[in-house]
Amino acid sequence: MSARLGSLMPWLALALLFIVTPQILSSATALTMTSLMGVMIIFALSYNMLLGQTGLLSFGHAVYFGLGGFVAIHTMNAVIHSKLPVSIPMIPLVGGLAGLAFGALFGLVSTRRAGIVFSMISLGLGELVSSSSFILRSFFGGEEGVTTNRAKLAPFFGHRFGSQLEVYYLIAAWCFFCVAAMYALTQTPFGRMCNAVRENPERVEFVGYSPRVLRLIAFCFAAFFAGVAGALGAISFEIMNAQQLGSQQSSLVLLMAYIGGVGSFAGPIVGAVIITFLQITLSDVTNAWQLYFGLMFIGAVLYAPDGVVGWLRMHLRVVRRGAAWRLAPAYALVAPALALAGVGAIMTIELANRQLAQARSEGSAMRLFGLDVDASTAWPWIVAVGLFVLGASGVRLLWPRVGEAWGDVNARLQIRSGA
Amino acid sequence: MTAALSIIELRKSFGPVQIIRGVSLDIAEGERHAIIGPNGAGKSTLFNLVSGRLAPSSGEVRLRGEPISGLPPFQINRRGLSRSFQITNIFPNLSVEENLRCAVLWSLGYKYVFWKSIYRLRDVRERVEWLMERIGLTARRDTQAGVLSYAEQRALEIGVTIGGSAEVILLDEPTAGMNNSESEQAVALIRKVSEGKTLVMVEHDMGVVFNLADRISVLVYGQIIASDTPERIRENAAVREAYLGQAQH
Ligand SMILES: Nc1ncnc2c1ncn2[C@@H]1O[C@H](COP(=O)(O)OP(=O)(O)O)[C@@H](O)[C@H]1O
Ligand SMILES: [Mg+2]
Repeated sequence: MSARLGSLMPWLALALLFIVTPQILSSATALTMTSLMGVMIIFALSYNMLLGQTGLLSFGHAVYFGLGGFVAIHTMNAVIHSKLPVSIPMIPLVGGLAGLAFGALFGLVSTRRAGIVFSMISLGLGELVSSSSFILRSFFGGEEGVTTNRAKLAPFFGHRFGSQLEVYYLIAAWCFFCVAAMYALTQTPFGRMCNAVRENPERVEFVGYSPRVLRLIAFCFAAFFAGVAGALGAISFEIMNAQQLGSQQSSLVLLMAYIGGVGSFAGPIVGAVIITFLQITLSDVTNAWQLYFGLMFIGAVLYAPDGVVGWLRMHLRVVRRGAAWRLAPAYALVAPALALAGVGAIMTIELANRQLAQARSEGSAMRLFGLDVDASTAWPWIVAVGLFVLGASGVRLLWPRVGEAWGDVNARLQIRSGA
Repeated sequence: MTAALSIIELRKSFGPVQIIRGVSLDIAEGERHAIIGPNGAGKSTLFNLVSGRLAPSSGEVRLRGEPISGLPPFQINRRGLSRSFQITNIFPNLSVEENLRCAVLWSLGYKYVFWKSIYRLRDVRERVEWLMERIGLTARRDTQAGVLSYAEQRALEIGVTIGGSAEVILLDEPTAGMNNSESEQAVALIRKVSEGKTLVMVEHDMGVVFNLADRISVLVYGQIIASDTPERIRENAAVREAYLGQAQH
């Protein structure tokens, strides 16, 4: 009984978090952001059913997000037009079923093989659907996209979802349900066999399972939840356009899952929150934000392949075993150098961005870390590159200390767990 | 009575080279059958053909009278034939317990079930506990399969193979690369787990073979040159020349 209660605790905490968040972050921009986070959490988790759980690297997952969103928005308009007794909370299910239908269709083609073949087909299908949006203008709405007015649907127990707060709670409710459902799926025979397919598809065949059927089912589920996310996005923004199903959106979901960590269930949730936050805040501060995303992705692939959650887990393990004191000095030593290199890199990127992309239209004068500088003069560049070189050499010089500290910690932990 | 496993005029070519050159063999229900032969004779290839990993060029395989050649491995497995691999073939990043769970799910009827929690399936749990006990890995249940010792991985390989309670079991060099005491343990394990089943096993260690097998077939260059009881095989001049004599050098 108490074990049951214990396993329910994280869910109660999550529900509570979802409920109180808009009470604390109640501004209009914060509400828009948290709503989008909810959508992206579902989307990123659905993606990880493929990547993390089943070992399928898709480059076209936004197809199911986008098609779910488009079908949802057309459904909303049809409902408004014919005055059907359908209210907003049902619409995500429509989006999900649309995602599922397209997932089953495209999945039949793409899940025959795993590995590179699967990835290439997902890329091809993504391009196919993207380019068809230029042809099927009545469905995809061309450049402007398709719009709707969610408040015109039948009210749901008096709620018309006119305010962003109502939309937030709708998204939060669906998000909670989807997270729970996707978590539950990982704990089923099907979910476990997906892991087995990821590990060793050949052996799966010799314990009675068809890897292809497993991949197809996983693909259908992933497409369903992506469709739900797309529909929630459509409800929230009241507009869908072809960008939502394009390669940029597909890369974004890969980035979210990867930055958060594909090796744990919580990873993509954390990734979705971080990336959505950065996407909104960074795009206000700099228009080179996509470049930063690219760098972040490369950095994660090279230095933190288990993502933020993997990194945290690794350190939590050390802290729990009381070995953090061995790591802290090494980290304290490297941190200033790392920060210096970071500041230098950011300055260089911003200067380059100003000088190369914006100087013609907006002039070369700019503000950088609170200072007025001119990107067409030499000094800011010298300082920026100098800081970067100084920081980077510091990191290079001091990094072995971190390696040593880790070697020491691992040796200690091993001795203790072996005893 | 129909044989548990019949192989009829089986042939396999890779390009122009015929590796399995007309193998015919009947293995009776409950028999422990060893296949011996020099390296490269085609023993693993024969297992690959029988278990569906490869499709034969010609000939037929029957499982309890039912033709199975050309079927994919999972179909053959569902009909009651399971195999192990010469090169350990498990789920490296899953724990010992999860490896075994994956091995038993289909046979207990859970198939692609996605509406039941895996931790509430009593029959699965009991079967996995029983298997872990049998292969002596209960203490290592939470260890990732990939970091087990070689002998432990070989034991897990056997555990995964027998997990689905198949009636016909093929083991490809289960004791290869083990030291004497490990090999003895493995033999004891194989004896235990093959009780009441039909066992076909490729093995190099003659001690193991003569100790365990009811019958032995000798495969040389893709053909069976003798198939008989251990005593007769030991006396067979052709076998001595082709294989046993060689092994003594
Ligand atoms: N997939 C394959 N493609 C080409 N040649 C193969 C293949 N599998 C096995 N062979 C060849 O078949 C022969 C028999 O191999 P194998 O069955 O592994 O022998 P054994 O298990 O008896 O040592 C070897 O010469 C090997 O090179
Ligand atoms: Mg072999």
